[in-house]
Amino acid sequence: MAEYIKLIDVTKCTGCRGCQVACKQWNSLPAVDTMFTGSLQNPKDLNYNTWCLIRFDEVEKDGKLNWLMRHDACMHCETPACAKACPSPGALTKNENGSVVHNPAYCIGCRSCIVACPFDIPRNDKALEKMAKCSLCHDRIDDGKKPACVTACPTGCLTFGTKEEMLKAAEKRAEKVKGVIYPANPHYETHVMYILPGTVGVEDFSHMNPHPKMPATLYWWKNLFKPFTLIGIAGVAGAAFLHYIIKGPHRVHEKKEGGE
Amino acid sequence: MSAHGDMIKVTDGIERVVHWILAGSCLFCLITGIGFMYHSWSFIATFLGGPYAMKWMHIFSGLAFAASFVYSFFMWKKDCQFEPQDLQWVLKGGGYLWSVKDLPPVYKYNAGQKAFFWILVACAIVIIASGVVMLNPLYYPVVMARFAYMLHAGAVVLLGAFIVVHIYLGTAGNPGTVSAMLTGYVSRAWCETHCPRWLADRDSWKPGGEKDVA
Repeated sequence: MAEYIKLIDVTKCTGCRGCQVACKQWNSLPAVDTMFTGSLQNPKDLNYNTWCLIRFDEVEKDGKLNWLMRHDACMHCETPACAKACPSPGALTKNENGSVVHNPAYCIGCRSCIVACPFDIPRNDKALEKMAKCSLCHDRIDDGKKPACVTACPTGCLTFGTKEEMLKAAEKRAEKVKGVIYPANPHYETHVMYILPGTVGVEDFSHMNPHPKMPATLYWWKNLFKPFTLIGIAGVAGAAFLHYIIKGPHRVHEKKEGGE
Repeated sequence: MSAHGDMIKVTDGIERVVHWILAGSCLFCLITGIGFMYHSWSFIATFLGGPYAMKWMHIFSGLAFAASFVYSFFMWKKDCQFEPQDLQWVLKGGGYLWSVKDLPPVYKYNAGQKAFFWILVACAIVIIASGVVMLNPLYYPVVMARFAYMLHAGAVVLLGAFIVVHIYLGTAGNPGTVSAMLTGYVSRAWCETHCPRWLADRDSWKPGGEKDVA
């Protein structure tokens, strides 16, 4: 199966929120009551029932106002921290097509994925004790379709295709608009990529991690402490057995103090 | 002479009950925790009714561990204060690793037992504190929550290994010891070997040694 990438060309986004609506529709997510909070930002944040969101930012740079709109959703990492942290097999799986998919049937609501995610994407459903996030519409991909948000996008901001295709398209487009490809770090691979306008930096966008990487704490936990838990127990049990058969148990002798 | 013959009471009922709540909840947490940590050992969750059920069992067992830990800390901390001759005991390997002639006489607990107690204290504080954070990880700054998950696992590496040492030395490694935590009584010879100074002290409290001094 081919590996896919969703490319988000921020320079083409008009903030219509068609992707937001299409996402809710395809994934049967309920609408939420919201309140005006002084900006176009609506809803305010991702939620267990809002898997993708347009984030609005107003940034002044070189005396010029930049009105930024950004489609924010799961980045579908090549080595997903959420799945690495997850204690329940099958609750979070990385698929061959690049999507990182949650399965509520296996989710136990421990929230370790939410803590681990370098992009702060997963959200907790308190009532159900389940996490929820964008699944890259893996069910649609398997059916030969594009994700719902991409299908709905009227401006061509969201595009979807095979990894090779999209990487080429991203470079071409970035060169044309003098933009920046995100994530820039070649060591951090994702199946969602951005083209950001060159006039502003990554740090000008809200809720965007300029240096995404697997949390070091997660690395220590899973790559070091995890194997050493069993190595320690087994090693010490082996040493105790060797002590028993070589030195022998510390027997008690009548009227004698100390060891043998 | 009590009904136990020439046996000496070294632990009282409260000590034994608290010890087994602490030990039982700790082992249960260790086993369920291993079931969470290794996906290949998820059969542990299958036995216990699935990972969701096991999550709550782990939490409630952790609460029992925390409660019995707090009680046992105040119960045993006085007996586990280090004293100068403990260093000599350690330098001689406690008589466990090679033959030793003149081991410094031990009071209630030897340096190894005291060390185990303080390692338990350190690990338990880390595990309980991080466990509290993990109960509601989204209430805390993300860096703190990430450290909690890491430290929870890190402390278990140390505690898991020391628990195995503790079990071995309390059973097969020291024949006659395990009854201290079952019936509460051990033989006089055992006391002369393992806690001679405490035995002398005890005998001086009440000749005949029938007073329950644990």
